[in-house]
Amino acid sequence: MASTRIFSMFNRNMSVRESFHESKYYLFSLMTWIPAVIFFNGNVGEVTWINGPSMYPYLNTSYNEDLKKDVCWISKWNPTRNLERGMLVSFQSPTNPEKLAVKRVIALEGDTVYTRAPCPIPTVQVPVNHVWVEGDNRDRSQDSNSYGPLPKNLIQGKLTYVLWPWKSSGPINWAQFKGKTRVLRGRRQDAPNWD
Amino acid sequence: MPPLSRFLLPFSYAKERYAGHPLRLSIAALKTIFVFHVFWQYGYAIAPLEGPSMLPTFEVKGDSVIISRYYRRGRNVKVGDVVQFDSVVEPGEGVIKRVLGLQGDYVMRDTPGSTDSMIQVPDGHCWVIGDNLPWSRDSRHFGPMPMGLIKGKVIAKVLPWSERKWIENGLQPIEKQ
Repeated sequence: MASTRIFSMFNRNMSVRESFHESKYYLFSLMTWIPAVIFFNGNVGEVTWINGPSMYPYLNTSYNEDLKKDVCWISKWNPTRNLERGMLVSFQSPTNPEKLAVKRVIALEGDTVYTRAPCPIPTVQVPVNHVWVEGDNRDRSQDSNSYGPLPKNLIQGKLTYVLWPWKSSGPINWAQFKGKTRVLRGRRQDAPNWD
Repeated sequence: MPPLSRFLLPFSYAKERYAGHPLRLSIAALKTIFVFHVFWQYGYAIAPLEGPSMLPTFEVKGDSVIISRYYRRGRNVKVGDVVQFDSVVEPGEGVIKRVLGLQGDYVMRDTPGSTDSMIQVPDGHCWVIGDNLPWSRDSRHFGPMPMGLIKGKVIAKVLPWSERKWIENGLQPIEKQ
């Protein structure tokens, strides 16, 4: 029992060896749950701290005032299914594969996007199985304008809840997002392909 | 030499612990599945291959390989390695190709013989090519590939068992004569 384990240090009559053996057993049975936790974090959902200003002012609203980071819930079950314009997604950054990036989906396959500064061409049609992602902070974000359309298979989660700070916590209403980037909606069948 | 019954102790312990305890048994089975899942995702995996794109190295059908997940996201991948990655074009499909260039390298953009234009691979990307050039959809079509898509490196061929071998980096530096 856990209580026996805790109080054994005060109990003069209980042998040390017995309680040590017992705590070893509890430690082992706790460790057998580690693979389950790894599975959960990789396939069901995970809590993540948001770094940097690229999604300001939607996330890290107090970026200019303090060093606090927003805490978000990433849902990882079937992340590439039912992607919509305006959703927040997390993925391994194409320019630095060890870094996790959070951006907003601006356009889906088949759409035509009017690009911004670092992009060398004025309009891009998003190819099959790709999305166009941008940060909300248009001046301080490295996004599809610098690395091009993002392969869908790189996306590993959708941001569904803000957990902290308390003021902005709650589900993320991605449908209410009104972007400044001009997008001409297209059909998936018309998207560029490589057959 | 201990008596034989000593070796049977774990079995009698398991019987005592799990027989007649369906909840305990199912939780233990679930935890075992998770252990194997984690090994499969972060350790090693065996995968059957299909398709003509790697032809002299792997057959069209019937070959199986061991994939080491240590190299996921392109860690320590070198030019000449055979890597497995999530397809850029097809959703949820795994592909195997050979790495021809890493970030900063200059590679030929098209099939040798058509044009001579070169391209520099951007940061965090790599250039992947199938061994069977006419029958491969690779970086010549979809451009540089983000390293984050790489799920592992092919280290050995196991099936068919008579053709088992380690897959080694075929590129060796030329000795000056």
